[in-house]
Amino acid sequence: MDIPTVIARIRNNFPEFSELASAQNYADELNIKVSPQDFKHTCLALHKILPSPVMMLFAQDERAGEGIFRINSVFVDFKNKEWVMVSMDIPPENPCFDSLAKSIYSASLFEREIWEMFGVEPKGHPDLRRLRLHDEVWPKGNYPLRKDFQKVEPGDLSDYKFSRVEGEGIFEVPVGPVHAGIIGPGHFRFSVAGEPIISLETRLGFSHRGVEKIFEGKSCLEAVRISECVSGDASFAHSLAFTQAAEKIFGIQIPAAAAYSRAIFLELERMYNHVNDLGGIALDAGFSFPAAYASVIKEVILQLNARLSGSRYLRKINAIGGISIGLDETKKQMLLSSLKELKRDFKELVKILYSSVSFMDRIDTTGVLRKKTAEDLGVTGLVARASGIPTDLRKYFPGVYKEAKFRMAIQESGDVLARLRVRIFEFEESCRLIEEFSGKLIKGEEIKVNAELKGGSALGYTEGWRGPVLYWLKTDTRGLVTRCKIVDPSFLNWQGLSYAVLGNIIPDFPLCNKSFDLSYSGNDL
Amino acid sequence: MMKIIIILQLAFFIAAAPLLNGLITKIKNNLRLRKGQSIFQPYYNLAKLFAKGEVVSETASWIFKVAPWVVFSATLSAALLIPVFIFASPAHRLGDFLALIFIFALARFFLALAALDTGSSFGGMGSSREMFISGLAEPALCLVIFSLSLQFGSTDISAFSGMHRVSVSSVVAALALFLVTLAETSRIPVDNQETHLELTMAHEAMVLEYSGPSLALLEWSAHIKQMIFFFLIAQIVFPISLPFLGSLVQTSVWVICYLARIMVIAVIVALVEVSVAKMRLFRVADFLGFAFVLGVIASVCAILGV
Repeated sequence: MDIPTVIARIRNNFPEFSELASAQNYADELNIKVSPQDFKHTCLALHKILPSPVMMLFAQDERAGEGIFRINSVFVDFKNKEWVMVSMDIPPENPCFDSLAKSIYSASLFEREIWEMFGVEPKGHPDLRRLRLHDEVWPKGNYPLRKDFQKVEPGDLSDYKFSRVEGEGIFEVPVGPVHAGIIGPGHFRFSVAGEPIISLETRLGFSHRGVEKIFEGKSCLEAVRISECVSGDASFAHSLAFTQAAEKIFGIQIPAAAAYSRAIFLELERMYNHVNDLGGIALDAGFSFPAAYASVIKEVILQLNARLSGSRYLRKINAIGGISIGLDETKKQMLLSSLKELKRDFKELVKILYSSVSFMDRIDTTGVLRKKTAEDLGVTGLVARASGIPTDLRKYFPGVYKEAKFRMAIQESGDVLARLRVRIFEFEESCRLIEEFSGKLIKGEEIKVNAELKGGSALGYTEGWRGPVLYWLKTDTRGLVTRCKIVDPSFLNWQGLSYAVLGNIIPDFPLCNKSFDLSYSGNDL
Repeated sequence: MMKIIIILQLAFFIAAAPLLNGLITKIKNNLRLRKGQSIFQPYYNLAKLFAKGEVVSETASWIFKVAPWVVFSATLSAALLIPVFIFASPAHRLGDFLALIFIFALARFFLALAALDTGSSFGGMGSSREMFISGLAEPALCLVIFSLSLQFGSTDISAFSGMHRVSVSSVVAALALFLVTLAETSRIPVDNQETHLELTMAHEAMVLEYSGPSLALLEWSAHIKQMIFFFLIAQIVFPISLPFLGSLVQTSVWVICYLARIMVIAVIVALVEVSVAKMRLFRVADFLGFAFVLGVIASVCAILGV
């Protein structure tokens, strides 16, 4: 959409929309800057006309240079293959803005994040409890993402208040943050009536490492390595989103060979995680044979990763300007022959799962996330696709996926079975895509070096195996990161889990949880 | 003589029960394409636990401390109610098959109380689930007994040890008993011994608060209980009318026969555990309902004399 069309459409929904402070097109981004009074209604209008959940909502501390806090809200326009970002400037004397949370639910968590990290208050937000800086240990009045934050100053501590369900026969079951398995830390507070779950409150943030702060002041080359550690099982997706943002700022067009190789690695990451989850779902349903079988397939993919790139979890591949490890002819042949075996083994695994009555009975209609709920929560990625929402960045922002005729997985029922089916479809599709891409790999340059470092800001995005991984990056003139906002799909999807389990019995929670398989570290940052 | 038999039988159950569990685990792991732990692993685990200290919740009362001993001794006395080395149960004056059920119920009662005692939410969940499951398993088990006592004219287990024939009734009864055994030994599809997921546990959730020697006693009791059930099934479907005591050849044939039939059951249990998913908690009612119906059929067959 060009700028006048957008303005006309916003004005249709919001007649008082005043003159644009500024608007500009940059690559596939459309930036609209509005006054603080218009911000809320502009967002509401975009939310309605695109329609899009709030994909990102974040603050910048620009007090040093421009003397303001800036709030940015990012929407996605699938129809026009464009990202729309609305910004406003807030004076630092009275840092607050009108909350969107009551009108757009998907903005709710982002606003809490802005409040705890920047101390910019979303006025009228119904729930301003902190997400990551736990009240028991982090004193009030410390806002770590402000530029002038040095160290934690002493202050008041308080207790976290869980929402309570009261009534006869209602019990609370607290679980975590330490769990029996090797998983991340998260606290789950169930309110149950007998076995059925009445309410689930998830408290996360235990693995908060201050990732966004760590990025600041690092050179982009160094920061690529940090992005690989944001969520360990999505290393490649995260570093890809980061490098894409940086390349956009520096104006680098990556070589074709690198684009195909990146797509191949991204699909390999999807494959090992999807098969891992199939095994995990089977294991949590107590079905151990296919679980063991799936772990064998996963290991084969990890070893393939190691032989292709030297890293089982696909680290140290991405670099600004391309990839640092090329796929030559021998590697290509190895990839194709392994793929053939993987496809055969995977088919066998799927057959075992589908032909087990006891397993299918267990996952069918378990943990249903309805489409309407998913839309309201702004749930993204794989989970959204299983609930009937057609959303996949590979389809709407295809790049190399266009020529491979990418097919998007979609299911309607929103239960564990639907999420299982999406995974199975995507695994098979990934195999096909890799075959397509490897046919296109030609000898050539893998990386463009000596990029000109410059200041600017851009959005990097990629469809990781969980869903869209978004990086908004701003650099200074020396190419150092001044702000890096990360949104892992887990951030919004955790809420989806809280709704999917309602009415299910407690013993089915692990199954629902595994079918979402969200990242703790990606959420906690 | 009887004293020696009693001591022999007790020693046998105490010593061999962990091995049976190790064996099943080994078979399961091999079926899952894994090498698996040694079949003696349960012994190492017990030795480890006995060497460890114990952590007891501050809110726990004496019930928590006493329960493992009650469970262990109850299970051991149950082991004396079934005939192994001779054609009579060593403690047949103590009670019959029904007493066996009540002794197990006593153990379960104390364990459920102890689980509630610590005030942990998992213990409570485990107790309620265990009671739910056992409330369904017991009637089925009772019907199995009725069908057998109709056939042999007594509820004393000694009555059908050393019998020669296998009837339709006893095969159906054994099938029902097999389903009950899966539930009673907390195996898939009813419960899952191997799981690390606290929220899905039934039996394991009850013992979650236990550590050290107490936990060892409870695990050992579970092993022994499992062996008792296996022996009962074996007794019903593969009857042997061979006495243990006799010539060397006779004794060794006896040992081989016993081992073989326990092995067969162990393999079947392992196969079931590997090839079936755990069912939803409330489906357990259907599963054990099926066992109950089988019990009814077995009783009807027994009345009809087939």
